Amino acid sequence: MSPDYLELLHALMPEAALVIGALVVLGFDLVVAKRDTLEERMNSSVTIGALSIVAALWHTVRAGAFGPAFGGVLNFDHLAVAARGGVLVLALLTLLLSAGTAHARHGAEYVAVILFATVGFTLMAAAQQLLLAFLALELASLSLYVLAGFDKSRPASAEAGLKYFLFGGMAAAFLLFGFSLIYGLTGSIELPQIAAQLAHQGMSPLLVVALVMVLVAFGFKASAAPFHLWAPDVYEGAPVSSAALIASASKLAGFTLFTRLLWPGFGIVAGIAPTAHVWAGWVPVVLLLSGSSLFIGNLGALAQTNVRRLLAYSAIAHAGALLLGVVVAGRAGPGPLFYYAATYGLATVGAFGVIGVVAKAGACQKITDLAGLHRRSPLLAGCLMIFILSLAGVPPLAGFFGKFAVFAAALQLGGLASPVGWLVFLAIAFSAVALYYYLVILKQALVTAPAADASRIAVPAPAAITLAAAALMLLLFGIFPSLLLGMF
Amino acid sequence: MISVSLNAYLALSVILFALGFLGVLVRRNTIVIFMCLELMLVAATIAFVAFSCYNGTMDGNVFVFFILTVAAAEVAVGLAIIVALFRRRQTIQVDQLDSLKN
Repeated sequence: MSPDYLELLHALMPEAALVIGALVVLGFDLVVAKRDTLEERMNSSVTIGALSIVAALWHTVRAGAFGPAFGGVLNFDHLAVAARGGVLVLALLTLLLSAGTAHARHGAEYVAVILFATVGFTLMAAAQQLLLAFLALELASLSLYVLAGFDKSRPASAEAGLKYFLFGGMAAAFLLFGFSLIYGLTGSIELPQIAAQLAHQGMSPLLVVALVMVLVAFGFKASAAPFHLWAPDVYEGAPVSSAALIASASKLAGFTLFTRLLWPGFGIVAGIAPTAHVWAGWVPVVLLLSGSSLFIGNLGALAQTNVRRLLAYSAIAHAGALLLGVVVAGRAGPGPLFYYAATYGLATVGAFGVIGVVAKAGACQKITDLAGLHRRSPLLAGCLMIFILSLAGVPPLAGFFGKFAVFAAALQLGGLASPVGWLVFLAIAFSAVALYYYLVILKQALVTAPAADASRIAVPAPAAITLAAAALMLLLFGIFPSLLLGMF
Repeated sequence: MISVSLNAYLALSVILFALGFLGVLVRRNTIVIFMCLELMLVAATIAFVAFSCYNGTMDGNVFVFFILTVAAAEVAVGLAIIVALFRRRQTIQVDQLDSLKN
């Protein structure tokens, strides 16, 4: 293989735009903006960062899906392009919502680390080789650890960063050991060759160990039970916009990476043919993770009084449904999974954005801190209603169609009587449970009277536009789901 | 010269990985947990080199250079987080880090 670096540069234009953007942000802040106030510096950093994300988005859309690049190390298929676009949009929304937040003392660094994390996400979406997959995952993870612990003025933030780091470091070590076993078994780190070798070799005890180790890392990234322990603490302690990025873009990129790893790479040893009773393989394990996430996520959320912890448990519950989407991706393609993950990300970024704006006017940890939001700021209350209803899966919104697409594809896989069918029933039943705790939030925001000392909330213009855009997108994708599903 | 079999290398690597994992689970000092994480990465490194030698391809050896780089970056980020935490809480024992609970 003679490497074609020009082709590589062409393929990685979005990443180049992001890295250059991050360096310009740092340089501008260091040289030009050093006499400005903290708020002006944060605003100029966010503007430059947003421009570089828009440039990356433009390059991604213009290049389109052109297949494998650089000797098969990267694969720009439809899933990769859609996931790269989705990740960039989610990162852009997070960035715009982070403007003017409380931790503005190192605004430029914060924006630069967000951009580096985004580079990791976009590479994760296209990686087709174990080395690049590991590096992209680590680039994203290390940036996210920094973002989680960024607010040095609060002990909670550092604690969230440490917990995320320890769990994440362990997951990375498991993933790496799994990769080394796969490399030893197949003699290759390229997914197509690995798939060809596995078709030849079939299942072996060493491969079982390797698959389990990879799935542990996947479970961590997806915050699936029983690897979810970090999620509530991190969502509660991290700065709001970091939590939004961890909950949205990181999820979408992680699910894309592991779907690519599991289906094209290890699809041979998936181990569940809908008709034959073959039970050795990774699909039963993923189904188990999915079921336990649905249980723990939904039941745990019922007991929460902290709105951010509640969103974390809701994320665990959604991870259960998304894992179902991973299982159906083998037959139905990655369309339903991508649709679900992308619209879930939009709703979560929006919900965290609302919390961030409210938190600037006063504390926003308890659900009761949202009381009377309809009086304090009708715009925020309206947007929050759309985000929460979409998370709950109420029909005209995108959250409903995401659930519908995944569950319908799952039922086609094995009918009602198969384990997948039972899991769909469980998920639908838990959707009703979930409606309860989502409505608890909405009741506080829309019905309860505000506290006596609560003042009106002034929503900054960029945040207002971003939240409205996210809400509109949820409505649009819910009414015209083919806008996203038609990309596959 | 004594030739060492692949299985011996793998056994060493599995033992190191298990020791690291055990350390992460039972130790209470963040710095020691952190060292155990590095031990797990080193275990994977040994497996990669052994497999690379056994398979006769260079991929595993190249992988190792990147693992070392990533491990160094992880140390930098991890120690920074630990320092930030110590400044706020005056402790790095994980069982005293329980402010994020209901």
